[in-house]
Order: sequence, then structure tokens, then C-alpha cells
Amino acid sequence: MAGLTNVALPHIDSSKLGGLASDPDGRGTETVFDVRDLHVAYSGSLALKGVSLEIRKNFVTAFIGPSGCGKSTFIRCFNRMNDLIPGAKVEGTILYHGRDLYASNIDPVEVRRRIGMVFQKPNPFPKSIYENVAFGPRVLGMKKALDERVERALHAAALWDEVKDRLKDNALGLSGGQQQRLCIARAIAVEPDVILMDEPASALDPISTSRIEDLIHELKNDYTIVIVTHNMQQAARVADMTAFFSVELREDGTGRHGILVEHDQTTRIFTNPADKRTEDYVTGRFG
Amino acid sequence: MARIEYQHSLDALEASLQEQGAIVLRVLRAAVTALETQDTELCDEVIAFDDEIDTRYHRIEKMVEELLAQQSPVATDLRLVLAVLHNSIHLERIGDQCVTVAKLTKLASELEPRHDLVEGLREMGERAEEMVRIALDSFAVRDVQRAQALVELDELIDRTNRRVADKVLALAHEPGSQEWGMRMIIVARCLERVGDNAVDIGEQTAFLVTGEFHEFSDASH
Repeated sequence: MAGLTNVALPHIDSSKLGGLASDPDGRGTETVFDVRDLHVAYSGSLALKGVSLEIRKNFVTAFIGPSGCGKSTFIRCFNRMNDLIPGAKVEGTILYHGRDLYASNIDPVEVRRRIGMVFQKPNPFPKSIYENVAFGPRVLGMKKALDERVERALHAAALWDEVKDRLKDNALGLSGGQQQRLCIARAIAVEPDVILMDEPASALDPISTSRIEDLIHELKNDYTIVIVTHNMQQAARVADMTAFFSVELREDGTGRHGILVEHDQTTRIFTNPADKRTEDYVTGRFG
Repeated sequence: MARIEYQHSLDALEASLQEQGAIVLRVLRAAVTALETQDTELCDEVIAFDDEIDTRYHRIEKMVEELLAQQSPVATDLRLVLAVLHNSIHLERIGDQCVTVAKLTKLASELEPRHDLVEGLREMGERAEEMVRIALDSFAVRDVQRAQALVELDELIDRTNRRVADKVLALAHEPGSQEWGMRMIIVARCLERVGDNAVDIGEQTAFLVTGEFHEFSDASH
């Protein structure tokens, strides 16, 4: 745990960042994750090969690509969720604010506090709305001013006005979209640095989806967001940067694994991508 | 190939542009012929045909609207849709120039023409027609080099335009030719603008292929 506390942020000279340079409003000037030649295998079978990219602070970075391209595998590397999968093996380096995320002295629990995650299907606990948000801080010993912390998190997740009069109600009584925003509030409540979202709106109707997307735009001012989405228009709408993953047949013909094809500004990916495979995918001509 | 219906829509859009282009080329040829032969009936046909060109433009605009709304084109597809819309507007404007040429030809039909000047205007018209044809062909085959060559052809039209203007100025001392000359100086300007529109279409070819828009030459010079 000590390994990740009080980490000094490294200075990055954004003038050297070329096409990935920061947004005019100052976001994206620092590197949060620096991934170098990452390989992931499950039970000896390669799932993701040789990925290198940077994730910038206060940017929304979207991962897109066909099923099986390893984008969910990849996002799970950022908070060491793959540690929980038997047989999963991660090789290569992920530097988080300059520190090796997979170093032996790094506590995965502290990693997951700093790097929160929201999943495809809303998964609130079968408890009250209040308890869902208060649970994480309480477990982590953040018990001071808990009511204020819960209210702040629900405000940040754009849910407060809808639930402020029924905080004691069971969270399972909320709509799907509200449940997902509750899960985002739950992630925010422990004051993370990064929020990972694995297809956060794929189970929601269009109105709930647009609320989540509006929320992402709000949250990027305070958090770094990484989102996996199958919905390319969603990536185009919410992301500053987009990384396109694809599948590649192994040379020995024994199977296929995911690779990173292109990582660039979202506008570039959707107007003039550099790689033909990206072009074929975003225009819907993949396969 | 995935998205078959979508590809059909894109193909149909591009075919519509080329059809509009074929009509514009016919009208341009007719306008120049009517000028050369002082054929007022042909002038009326040119003027009447403008509605058809406008209809084609509105049809393309509608197709673009539907493609954007229903298919959310991106990357090359998006650039194609945008370029077709731009080009269709340029073609529509060429049609408008032809109408102006036809109307001026009618107004000048009772006046005595100067054959050396008519010859210069015919030359401009032929060059303009060639330029529109090259612009449409290079767009169809995505030939940026050929599209860029339009700049040199445009310079030739500009040069002839300046020559025509000089000759008209020289007519100032010939009482019977002044009105005719004034009308023809506008005709020359219309044909010169057709050349500019052809260059504009060429620029869209470069945008479609490279993803970067830039003017082939600085129009302010």
C-alpha cells in the first residue's frame, strides 16, 4: 500500500508528445498510465500481444474493437483485475504515475481504490442506496463525514436529485440507468484517480445512455476515464483519444490474439485513420 | 464486404453526382454553342434546363441528409459524402453561370457581334467544359494528380478572360459595339468562374483521398 501513496507526479513535457498533445483546456498534459509491450495470457494461451500506449490525465480514452480483440482484458490490467482470474499472466510494464503497477510491493487493493471500475451490467449490492455508496469508504476507513461523502458522490454521479428523498430504499428498486449511475457514485466515493468503464451503457436504453455520456463529460474534469465500448458512435461522442484493437491469427495457426492497431485522437480515428484495418472497422466493413 | 445496403447508398450518391455532372456538361456545351451561333431558342433551353440541375442538387442533398442520419458515415465514407455535397453545389453554380451566359446571349442577339471576341469566348467555353470533365473524371477515379493539373488549365482560361477584357475595352471608341462588349465581358467572367468551380471540385478529390483540405492555389492572388 505504501508503494502507491504520496506518489509524486512526474513532469511531462507535452511539447514532445506529437499527435497526442494535450487539449487546449489543459487536460491531457500528464501521463497516468504508460504501458510498454504488454502481453496477457490465460492458461498459457496468448490473449493480448505487445501493447504499448499512454493514458493521459483527465482524458477520456476509449478502447474499441471486435469481440475477442482483448480490449476488456486490457482494461482489467489497469486495476489488476486479471490477478483474480486463475491462470492469467501479465508480462510487460504498466507504469502508473511512473510506478510499476505490477511490482511486488504494490497492494492490489490500494490499486483498486485509486483505479475504480464500472462494469457492463449495473451490480449494486442488495442494500440501501446510501449503503451502496457508503460501503467502500467505510471498508477503507474513510468514516469521517460519511453522509457528506455519500451526498458528494451522488451529486457527482448526477443521481442526487433523483434519490435524495429515498436514500434508505433498496438500490435494486432503481432503474437500470440509475443503478449504473449508483455504481459510478460508488466508485467515486472512495476518491479514485481513474475510473475504468467496461461497456457501461451497453445494457441501458438511449436516454439512460445519454445521461451516462453526459456524466462522462462532467467527470473528466476530475478523473481520468478509460472506457471499453462496442458502440463506436459512443466512442466518437465521449472520448478524447481512441485506441483500436483487432484480432490477429497466430503465425503457427494455433489460434488468435488481440493487438493494438492504432491509438490517436478520436477525431482523427473517425475522420482519417492511419491504418486500413481501423478504417475498415470504423466504417463497418470489418470481416 | 459488410454493410451492403450502405455501400449501395454511397454508390448511388456518387452516381447521382456524375449524372448531375453529365447534365451540366451538356448545358455548358449548349450555352457556348448558343453564344457562338446566336441561337436564342437554344438559350431558352439552357435556361429551362437549370431547374433540372437544381432538382438533381436537391435530390443529392436529401440523399446526404439521409445517409448522415441513418448510417453515421465516418472516415473515407464521411469525406465522400461531404465531398459529393460540395461538388453538387459547385455543379449547381456552374448551371447558374450557364443561365447567365444564355440570358446575356439573348440580350445581345440583336446586336452586331465581334467575331474575334466570340472566338475567344468559344475557346474559354471549350476549356471550361474540358476542366469540368477532368474534375468529374478525376473525382470518380480518385486521381489527385490529375485534379491538381486543373490549376494550369484554369490559368489558361484566366489568360483568355484578360485578353477578352482588353479587347472589350478597345471597343469603347466603337459606338455600335459598346453594349455588346459590356454584355460579353460578363459572359467571359461567367466562363472564367466555371473554371474556378472545376478547380474547387478538384480540391474535393484531394480532400477525399488525403483527408486534408487545402486550396490548390490562393484565389486572393
